[in-house]
Amino acid sequence: MTETLARLKGLLGRLLARRGAALGLGFLALVALAAAFATVLPFDPLSQSVAASLLPPSAENWFGTDELGRDILARVIYGARTSLLTAVGAVVIAALVGVPIGLAAGFYGDWRDSLLMRCIDVLLALPNILFAMALIAVLGRSQGAALIAVGIAGIPGFARIARAQVMALRQLDFVTAVRGFGGSPGYIMFRTILPNALSPLVVQAIVLASIAILLEAALAFLGVGVPPPTPSWGEMLRTGKSYLYEAPTYAVLPGIVLTLTILSLDTIGRALTAILDRDETDASGETIGGRR
Amino acid sequence: MTAYVLRRLFQMLPVLLVASFAIFAMIYAVPGGPVAVIVGENAGPEEIAAAIQRYGLDRPMVVQYADWLGRAMTGDFGLSLHSRQPVLQLIGERLPATLQLAFAAIIVALVIGIPVAIASAVKPNSWLDRLLSGWSALALGVPTFWLGILLILLFAVELRWLPSASRHVPLWESPLDALRSLALPAITLGTYVSGILARFLRASLIGEARADYVRTARAKGVPENRIVGLHIMRNALLPFVTVVGLMMANFIGGAVVTEAVFTYPGLGRLLIQAISTRDYPLLQGCILVILVAYMLINLTVDMLYAWIDPRIEYR
Repeated sequence: MTETLARLKGLLGRLLARRGAALGLGFLALVALAAAFATVLPFDPLSQSVAASLLPPSAENWFGTDELGRDILARVIYGARTSLLTAVGAVVIAALVGVPIGLAAGFYGDWRDSLLMRCIDVLLALPNILFAMALIAVLGRSQGAALIAVGIAGIPGFARIARAQVMALRQLDFVTAVRGFGGSPGYIMFRTILPNALSPLVVQAIVLASIAILLEAALAFLGVGVPPPTPSWGEMLRTGKSYLYEAPTYAVLPGIVLTLTILSLDTIGRALTAILDRDETDASGETIGGRR
Repeated sequence: MTAYVLRRLFQMLPVLLVASFAIFAMIYAVPGGPVAVIVGENAGPEEIAAAIQRYGLDRPMVVQYADWLGRAMTGDFGLSLHSRQPVLQLIGERLPATLQLAFAAIIVALVIGIPVAIASAVKPNSWLDRLLSGWSALALGVPTFWLGILLILLFAVELRWLPSASRHVPLWESPLDALRSLALPAITLGTYVSGILARFLRASLIGEARADYVRTARAKGVPENRIVGLHIMRNALLPFVTVVGLMMANFIGGAVVTEAVFTYPGLGRLLIQAISTRDYPLLQGCILVILVAYMLINLTVDMLYAWIDPRIEYR
């Protein structure tokens, strides 16, 4: 466990050495801090004032006010909670379901593999947003429904990567050794193989976090996401779009925060992939003319 | 080839069966079942009894599904609960608009994506490559709906060149009006897809450029533009076509969102309307039509392989 932690810490250091990834991490940290300490900050996302509706940005309301006179910056900060909660929740759901499916499919590799992967293929065949919308149509609009819909959409990614990792690792000597000592399938899958397959899963978690935030915002934009009055970036863009003539900044500023969050996650994900790819190349000793 | 296409079409049937049954079953998972959906939550006992009688809801679910399936086979997807019009007619009215948008968006995506990919692959890791890769990342990261809003703000609100809400004008009736209406939605959706195209085509071009046959061609003195255009491009297109096929799911999702931004009267908005009014026959019909379209696109992509790469043969 300490070894895994040390490896992740080393990875973080190398991420910070890259300019784009460092900027992305910085921005994400800012958003996460604002979301975490939203209640301490002097912003109220719900206090209304009809007299002060649709004001342009000012010293008092940095992002202006919405159609009910609520402070848009306050709603962006509280909206970060919705986005980040959905991202974390979706990653947890997807990893908890997807990783064991992938591990088992890759470990056994017989009819169980075919059965599990066919199910994953069906999930993969449906466009994410379509599946999420159909699910929400059935469950009704709620924060929970949005979370589950986005989480399920992330299962195939984790399952496929976990499976590929098991297939690559299960024939290696250290796994054979554990098997020889009588390790149970569960022990081999979760205690022997999984700790060695963490890096690509971490990358997948970041990729999915970005997809989850985008999907949540898209659902809210379509009017089927987290129900009001809970602030959500997508919902703000949806309402802001109705006031493009009166208050053009309304739909622009929350969109900038949303876009920067997604771009930050994407940049970090790509940087991590590049770092891990290089490690692999170094380890295999292949250079020019190799498989890359 | 014909046998292959027929077999693929035949393979679509079980998927459609499973999907339609799953949607049907989901409707039954709603608290109160389909009755609650049809008559609403505040209905009296008479209304509920009448609805059960009318739709035959007291029969077992499997029987009801078989009944629906039997009628669906003959092209009868039932009536929309909301507008009381046949589901298939509603979908038929919207489908041309969506197809026109999809076609226009793909053209935009190819026009942007292919030159960007070639320009960045010619000299990997040059300043131009890094600039264009950054652009692809931006095209992929910016949410479609926000890009759409920005385009409306610029071209409709500020410059007043183009309409902010799009109508469906068939291209052959009034080409100019159709293009004015399509421009912003097509650019919005096309930009996103161009990001996908550029990123994958670049990777596959760079991969091919290192192949032995390229070195041979260079040694023989084949002109550089002929090497890129004929030798590399043709081989790089193969993995690229796969990616495009896989990305079709995102394309459909993007189309649903884009239609919402521009209040474009396509299939995506019909779907959203079906969900928000809990119009289940319509929802069932929309999802199945989109699923069929998705599978047909994938089949087309697989057939494109044989055309690009004569080594591939289908049996």
